[in-house]
This record gives sequence, structure tokens and C-alpha cells, in this order.
Amino acid sequence: MTPLHADRDADFEREALACLPDVARFARSLTRDPTAADDLVQETFLLAYKGYASFRAGENVRRWLFSICHHSWLRIAQREKRLVLTTDGEDAELETLGAVMGHVAAQRSGLDQFVTSIDVGPAISAAIETLAPPFRAVVMLVDVDGASYDEAAAVLDVPVGTIRSRLFRARRLLQEQLFDHARDLGVTRASTSASVSRSVSDANSTARESRP
Amino acid sequence: MSQHVDNSITPRPIDCHTTVRRLWDYLDEELDAERFAEVEAHVADCSGCAEHFAFSRHFLSAVATSWQAAPSSDALKSAVVARLAKEGFGQG
Repeated sequence: MTPLHADRDADFEREALACLPDVARFARSLTRDPTAADDLVQETFLLAYKGYASFRAGENVRRWLFSICHHSWLRIAQREKRLVLTTDGEDAELETLGAVMGHVAAQRSGLDQFVTSIDVGPAISAAIETLAPPFRAVVMLVDVDGASYDEAAAVLDVPVGTIRSRLFRARRLLQEQLFDHARDLGVTRASTSASVSRSVSDANSTARESRP
Repeated sequence: MSQHVDNSITPRPIDCHTTVRRLWDYLDEELDAERFAEVEAHVADCSGCAEHFAFSRHFLSAVATSWQAAPSSDALKSAVVARLAKEGFGQG
């Protein structure tokens, strides 16, 4: 191994391969299929390794890998004609208002208290899986990975306005699914109040029992 | 992105409609400092809007932690390294 290549490979392992769990999670969110996700991850790192010479030191290597991953996925999906082009979100601020109106309705029925009182992680994961790929990708980048709108726009190669409209629509859809989930569980204002009262009562009993 | 608000300037009052239209931009810290301060001042004085913002903040927190478990494995890393090795990775 030449020293130059050894250095490059060591850098690649330390910088890029360290991001493998994050890239795998992003790939999984795009494909929704474990086998396809693993193939996409391998393709991503292969392309990244081949193009590592073009990577500029100081850039965010994870975002760079996400960008390669997304472009690879688009190419595969288009080749297999599996990519369903969807409309972007409506006006971003209208989507925001839609989410707020949904919360107003949930406040009236008590569903919002239920959503904030339990672990809704599994329900949210399931809801994210149902989103169309363009919406899922932006949720994963901004809401899960913590990217800014500008960073997400660079990864997905779309304007920032598209990121906002897709993101806000996705959040509205996710909230609607959470409220539907709570409704399916039979949550009402009365049951929420009873549940909260029971929790307080249980907590008080536990506290009394634990006293010396 | 952190917001650096100049506290010497009183934010321009805004109504509830304007405030909630900025809800996601505010929580994502994507507003400029002036608009950020306007929202912050309104939410501090408006319990109705404060409830929307508190709920939405809780929702975003739940979304952020819903996918934390990485689906990768040692087997996947081995497969990636094996594929890279065909391109010369680790071999000079």
C-alpha cells in the first residue's frame, strides 16, 4: 500500500465509514426495504470512495454521503420506474395553519393530551413509513437528523421553498395520523381526563407506600 | 442556528394568525432575528398560541427520537468494506 493511498483510506474509514449507521438509517427511510437499503448503502459508499478525491476537507461528510445516497436511490427508483412523482406540499404557511387547526380540533376532543402523555415513538415511526418518499426524506433529514433547511435542500437538490412545503405538509400528515391513532384507541376527552387522574392517583399511592 | 436578539429593540406586535403561520420556522430556528423576536414576544403573552407552540415542540421532539435506533449492523459494514476492497480500499 502506498503511503498516499494508506492515508486516504484511513481518512475514509475514520470520516466516512463512521457515518455508516446514519447513512443506513437514511437509506432505510428511502427504500422501506431492508435488503434494498443495504444495497443502497453499499452503492453509496462505493461511489463515495471512488469520488473521495473530490471531497473537500471541512465539508460535512455525512451530508455529502446523504446526497450521494439520495441521488443513487433516485437513479435506481427511476430505472425501475418505482418512483411515484407526487405533488409538493401546498403553500408552506397554509400547511402550518392546517397543522394548527388540527391541533385545535384535537384540543376539543382531548386527543392532544393523549398524544403528549404516552410514548408515541412507535406510532410516529409507523406514520413516517407511510409518507411518500419525497416527504419521508425531508422529515428524516430535518426532524431526525437535525439538518437546516439549506442543508436539506443541498442534499435533496431542490430549492429551500420545496423543503419547507414538503416538511410542513409531512408534519401535518404525521400529526393527523397520530390523532387518528389516538382516536382508534378510543381516546376521548373523558377517557383522557380519567387516565390522567388515574396516573396522578397511582403516583400518589406509590408515594404513600414508599414513605417509611 | 441560534438567534441573537437585540433586546434593546421592542419587537413589533404581531397577531395570532401571523404568529402561528411562523410556527414551524420559529421552532426550526429558521426565522431572522427580528421575526423570531416578534414571535417570541407574542407567544410569551398569548396562552392560546403558547399551547400550539408547546404541543408542536413536543411533537418535534417525539419525531426526532422515533428513529434513533440505527438499522445497521456489523454484517453490513463488512459487506461495504468487502465491496470497497474490490476498488482497492485497504490494499494500496
